Amino acid sequence: MARVTFFPANVSVDVRPDETILDAARKAGISLEAPCNGTGKCGKCKVTLLGRNGTGGEKDGIAVAACQTKAGEGRAVELTGEWGKESVRVLEAGTSEAGETDPFITKELSTAGPETIILGGGRGLGRENGDTTGFVYGVVVDIGTTTLVATLVDLKEGKEVASTSALNPQSLHGQDVLSRIKLASDRVGLAQLYGLFVSEADRMIGELAQQSDIEKRHIYEMVYSGNTTMLHLATNTDPSSLGRYPYTPVLRGGYLPLPRGGGPGIAEFASLYLPPVISGFVGADITSGVLATRLHERKGITLFIDIGTNGEMVIASDGRLVASSTAAGPAFEGMNITFGMRAGDGAIESFEVTKEGELLVGTIGQTAPKGICGSGLVDIVGELVVHGAIDRNGRIATNGNGRLPGVFKGRLGLKDGKPVFALSDSVYLSQADVRQVQLAKGAIRTGVEYLLRDAGVGPGDVDEVLIAGAFGYHLREKNLLALGLLPESFGGKVSFVGNTSKSGGIAFLVNKGYRTEMKGVVEAVRTIELANYKDFDRTFVNFLRF
Amino acid sequence: MGDKKQLFQDMSDAVVAMDEERVVALARTVIESKVDVYEAIENGLSHGMERAGQLFEEEEYFVPELLVCSDAMYAGLDLLRPHLTQCEGGSKHKVVIGVIEGDTHDIGKNLVKIMLETGGFELHDLGRDVPAARFVQKAGEIDADIIAISTLMTTTMDGMAEVVKLLEKENLRDRVKVIVGGGPISQGFAARIGADGYAAHAGAAVNVARGLMNGDRAHAR
Repeated sequence: MARVTFFPANVSVDVRPDETILDAARKAGISLEAPCNGTGKCGKCKVTLLGRNGTGGEKDGIAVAACQTKAGEGRAVELTGEWGKESVRVLEAGTSEAGETDPFITKELSTAGPETIILGGGRGLGRENGDTTGFVYGVVVDIGTTTLVATLVDLKEGKEVASTSALNPQSLHGQDVLSRIKLASDRVGLAQLYGLFVSEADRMIGELAQQSDIEKRHIYEMVYSGNTTMLHLATNTDPSSLGRYPYTPVLRGGYLPLPRGGGPGIAEFASLYLPPVISGFVGADITSGVLATRLHERKGITLFIDIGTNGEMVIASDGRLVASSTAAGPAFEGMNITFGMRAGDGAIESFEVTKEGELLVGTIGQTAPKGICGSGLVDIVGELVVHGAIDRNGRIATNGNGRLPGVFKGRLGLKDGKPVFALSDSVYLSQADVRQVQLAKGAIRTGVEYLLRDAGVGPGDVDEVLIAGAFGYHLREKNLLALGLLPESFGGKVSFVGNTSKSGGIAFLVNKGYRTEMKGVVEAVRTIELANYKDFDRTFVNFLRF
Repeated sequence: MGDKKQLFQDMSDAVVAMDEERVVALARTVIESKVDVYEAIENGLSHGMERAGQLFEEEEYFVPELLVCSDAMYAGLDLLRPHLTQCEGGSKHKVVIGVIEGDTHDIGKNLVKIMLETGGFELHDLGRDVPAARFVQKAGEIDADIIAISTLMTTTMDGMAEVVKLLEKENLRDRVKVIVGGGPISQGFAARIGADGYAAHAGAAVNVARGLMNGDRAHAR
């Protein structure tokens, strides 16, 4: 065995010599971020080997990728990155047009004595001593690939009591959905990811209960709203079929038993409800979004888009719904971007050249820029395109073009022979980053195109565009249009509806009628697979241009 | 003949400039003035496409530009090909290419195909969602020199290792080189599964393939 010691935590763990430092960190319970799940691609799991050969000693050492470095004869490692103390800004609010209260869970006093009967859909689930009819609660967990939002709901009143958010702990083991499917394709990996979710959800529920001064045992139902993969992982269901064409889900939504002991520590007979799943890549979160925006009841043409890694979208033409998803990739979540990071402290979140020619760079927490988050990336690239510092083909202009705004002076240059745009002394946007943005926006624009074609309409015929998702909320319409992520004729029609996965999830919790309604709606949704269109390649490639 | 050299250079430039009309016009000149068609393809069209691949590697060009260059190149090629005499060009190294089973993303594979074809290889495209056994079977059938496998998804990349294992089982491993590429693939992964080569970009794939064939003659049928 080889001993690996992590500093400054000063934690040691024994592993086989052929295991990597990342393996060791995971065994030691150290949250070392590995967004690409150790394939060696992303370089975000950098650590410093202390001393010569990394066996300890001098302070100075060499930086290596933890996932690509074997434990060998033992290592002393200094953790350099943002391990274990990541701050993330999460959007908790979302639009909801949901109506009256008619929850699945109800309570009534027993006629036999001082006892309360808990009913689920009118059927007895369990009993409690005394009169507890005043305490009927449920929890919605919006399970995002990156973040979790748990919301405590008073089922009698049909109202949100409290909400809390946290990083999805699974994201330390693979930031994107595919890395997680891969990790969970064997029992050990699945159990690990499931366990991480359950303990974090349990902790969040505990926090909500304490903060609201209620007892955990008075929580009788959970609703999990999330993408299809997240639902599989949260219910200990093998997700491997989602990682291969034709991406068939095992779960379709509906009621599931909550495992005794293994689930969040709420009422022992509590039930779990998953909103209906549309397809392998269009999940319950989108169904919640449809419900929250009453998409199926809107007149005219409405487009609902969740701008994220999978770029799920639904077009509604007078009640007819067609859905698709696009492989936008995690660029908008900061992955594959040189200085990409999540929306935490130090992330550039906005970038604007004012009419007066001033440059405004906004960072979260008003600190010195450490990196760029999704909304910042959209702003930066959008503004650079508008002001000619990035051409139609995505090339960063090298210095000398006289028409560039004065504030760009000295920011355009070369790094290792390739063009970059400097955002601060240490943070810059590279040519390769622009390419990643092109791929992401091209994918979403292509999805929009095929949904429009399928509905037999042009971009100008669209009445409303609803952008959902935490990331979407921080975007500006003008830059989405400048990037060509959305057609220009969408101008003035875009609204940001926020976290509808959560708000729709709450609606499912407080009114059981929506469960029947949405089951019917989802069954009628048609899904189109973009890759099966003959001219998909060409269409996508055309939309790579700005 | 200086004229000939200039003509080839013009063709190469027109491909790089994505000027399909000009490529077609120049190809007509080649045919009319009875210039060696094989040379025109090699030193004009392919030369231009290789420069485009170089620009792609340098991040000057991106996928759309590379594809438009290839449109121009193929427009010229379609005109010139019928004028090639049968024996010209000799026998080419054969490549079986495809996207591994479970994955249907094939733009990257198509780019590599274009670049290898331009680079003088004979391509056999199996398309996408291709089972490991199909790669090996096809390679055996046509006596391929190289199997080129692509994937965009982390969840399907392990299928590439299966191809290498099957080749060993079929005793074809020393006859066929395996090159891999795609979004989640790295040099480390290629080494781990025992592949012979990895390229990060379509442009670089040609050099990798050539390097592997260095000195090797194309398999005789």
